Amino acid sequence: MAHYELQKVTFTYPEETLPALSELSLSVPSGEFVVLCGPSGSGKSTLLRLLKREVSPGGRMSGVIMLDQLPIQDWPARELAGLVGLVMQNPDNQLVVDTVEHELAFGLENFGLGREAMRRRMAEMAGFFGLEPLLDRKTDELSGGQKQTVNLAAVLMLQPRVLLLDEPLAQLDPLAARELLGMIKRLNEEWGITVIMSEHRIDDLLPLADRVVRMELGRIAFNGNARDYVLEAWDHEGEDWVSSLPSVTRWALEQLPPSSQLHSDEPPLTVKETRNWLSRADMEPKLASETLDHKTRNATVSQQYRHSTTPSPASDPTPASTKPLLAADGLFYAYDKHSPAVLKGLEWQIRHGDWAVLFGGNGSGKSTLLQLLAGLRLPQRGAVHWEGTPFARMSSKERFSAIGYLAQNPLLHYAYDSLSEDLLQAANRAEAEDPKQEVEQMAERFGLTHLLSRHPHDMSGGEQQLGALAITLLGKPRLLLLDEPTKGLDPLAKLKLGEHLENIHAQGTTLIIATHDIELAAAYANRCSLLFHGEIVADGEPEQFFQGNLFYATALHRLFALGEASS
Amino acid sequence: MKDGFGFRSLHPIVILTYYAGGITFGMLLFHPLVLLAGWGVAVIVNLHLDEGREWRKWSLPMLTGVVLIVLMNPILSHRGRTVLYYLGDIPITLESVIYGVTLAISMLNLLTFFVTYRLVMTEQKFLFLFTRISPKAALITMMAMGLVPRLRRRMQELILIQRTRGVTVTEGSLAHRARSGARLVGTLLSWTLEDALQTADSMQARGYGTGARSSYLGFRFRMRDGLTLAGFAGFAALLLGAWWSGHGFMVIYPRLGSFALSPGDGLALIAYILYLIVPLAWEWRDRRAWLIMNYRR
Repeated sequence: MAHYELQKVTFTYPEETLPALSELSLSVPSGEFVVLCGPSGSGKSTLLRLLKREVSPGGRMSGVIMLDQLPIQDWPARELAGLVGLVMQNPDNQLVVDTVEHELAFGLENFGLGREAMRRRMAEMAGFFGLEPLLDRKTDELSGGQKQTVNLAAVLMLQPRVLLLDEPLAQLDPLAARELLGMIKRLNEEWGITVIMSEHRIDDLLPLADRVVRMELGRIAFNGNARDYVLEAWDHEGEDWVSSLPSVTRWALEQLPPSSQLHSDEPPLTVKETRNWLSRADMEPKLASETLDHKTRNATVSQQYRHSTTPSPASDPTPASTKPLLAADGLFYAYDKHSPAVLKGLEWQIRHGDWAVLFGGNGSGKSTLLQLLAGLRLPQRGAVHWEGTPFARMSSKERFSAIGYLAQNPLLHYAYDSLSEDLLQAANRAEAEDPKQEVEQMAERFGLTHLLSRHPHDMSGGEQQLGALAITLLGKPRLLLLDEPTKGLDPLAKLKLGEHLENIHAQGTTLIIATHDIELAAAYANRCSLLFHGEIVADGEPEQFFQGNLFYATALHRLFALGEASS
Repeated sequence: MKDGFGFRSLHPIVILTYYAGGITFGMLLFHPLVLLAGWGVAVIVNLHLDEGREWRKWSLPMLTGVVLIVLMNPILSHRGRTVLYYLGDIPITLESVIYGVTLAISMLNLLTFFVTYRLVMTEQKFLFLFTRISPKAALITMMAMGLVPRLRRRMQELILIQRTRGVTVTEGSLAHRARSGARLVGTLLSWTLEDALQTADSMQARGYGTGARSSYLGFRFRMRDGLTLAGFAGFAALLLGAWWSGHGFMVIYPRLGSFALSPGDGLALIAYILYLIVPLAWEWRDRRAWLIMNYRR
């Protein structure tokens, strides 16, 4: 059994006046799947860490946390460590040793288990997760999704009864995230493990959750099942509640506000349920008329995403230009002689004023392509031309000031001990007239003024992202390349980033974004391209691009596409 | 991959004994013919294990060392009665030339022999032995081995991205490059320390430090390991017996003796070669098993 009971838990970090958690009471019965949501800094991580005694932060705590009627500080260390497992956000940092097999065994070694017992559990766990082919590999060679799977398996080797997950999917691409989520669901259903999981993006989680707990400012703002959560969120004013809902759910509720009598699968949480709901509500005719008008549909999607009335840039006429801003001409790139080529004779042209989005599977070479376009790497064959001039004839300084590049990991952009120093260096390098003032303006624009003296590592993921963007923008680039800018951001931070990008685009900067985030593309982009097998295989306006796609499509497009197929 | 085959299938203890013995005997014996024979066997072992690929990689440094010793010894050492000629007023003696050559063969022998150590003693086997001696140090070794590739990859990323901000070690004045380099290393270090806190959490969360640890690494001590150890012991006893009664050397100083092998030297030579060749017996045995299997199929 594993039953958590929290009674009036208040927790304050040292040197802070406001408590991180206040008067929090919560009961989690054995075998439940609990989803913790809420904006960044609402105390989700603090709560999870308090539930796991080994990693509890230092500070003042009042109230009791009981596990099976025994306060957790009274549990024997070994038993408690085995009973409660914890998986954190960053896949890399949780790996302790060098090979997968040894990583899995690490926990068992700590418990002093015999070799035979270890082998048996290893066999079982490797079988469950399909890790056999990876056992001899170095952990460093794995993909992010595989690393996180290894982390999960390594925790489960100890056969815990409770699994605490602190945003385990945030650093993963959607496909790997869905796979890992499937495994977590199986653990909960087949092994009866209690799961307490915090996550920003809860669209995929809502259908799985037995219970949703929403936190705000260290308090529980909601505690109940997923459908009640949807209704509650719909009644709330303000972006942050509504933006946490799946887009199909929001769309359905917009079409027809919830009635007092609800079916068991209402409000709908998935595309399938929405289809059922549509047929019940007799909305077929309306839907049919809507599917004819693709323009309307696109507008709906963007409104869904932004809840704002600003006109979509997708409908803006782009200024026609004869010479492309940036042209990739037969790019061929391989990481070394013996490895297969990532890009194979790629041709792509970026016009002035484009807001291009680049899609592609994992390892399809999106990041590599962006780095080539930014002039960070040189192709083995082919060339990139900037307004007709090949990169080879530009100095690296010219290139880097014309083209800004924002890496997937924003931390790579910082090199100084505080944000203001980093910004100042960037402004000086761009030979700004009054660097100090420029830095202040930039910080003001991105709402970073209160963070200027902060060390970059002490900022949240979203703040780091905005800071890196500010650093890049101080160079006044005419073309901005962004690699997965929305990864790991909560819905609200994503909205903010989208607005900033829109601003930047409106000021005349051309944007190229490599992303898995289809909703982002549908809301803002005026051009979508698909990278596959080292070449651009599809390139066009978003509407034309999404039409008929089932995988590279928003949930709403999927809903309509299925509707078209069935009618 | 080939861990279950021939020489490589032996227990780490046996492998360690083999190399410890081989190196000791290589240093005890000092007769050019005996050492040359030992070198021949070491080459054969190399050829068996990986067709001599690793050995060829080391051949240039080894050759340089040999040439240096052969040249330097007569110039630096003037012992010996038989003066060949004078280099300026430095006497070059026959004895010191021969001594230099013998020393060079001895070194070549040891190096060639040790090249195979890297092939046979894999990291896993080494850690298995190491864990017996010091479990904590072994864990730290393993963590370091996991960390090094991560640091290298992150440094590459950092260099790539920071170039866009002008923090680079490939352009600009020397002072600028030095400052940039220091900045890159500093950033990498503070980042790594930050990450290490999370790694520590992950270790604690999995019960590290709650009591005595055990080790997952395991190698079974099989019949063939016992037989091999017995073989080693037998040949080592023969060799040491011969060495103890003064065989296996050649008299060089003060006056060059005969190259001919005495019966005692012969015994030492045979024992040495047999000692070195024992593990290959398993290589041959396992190869035969494959041949027979392929033939039947």
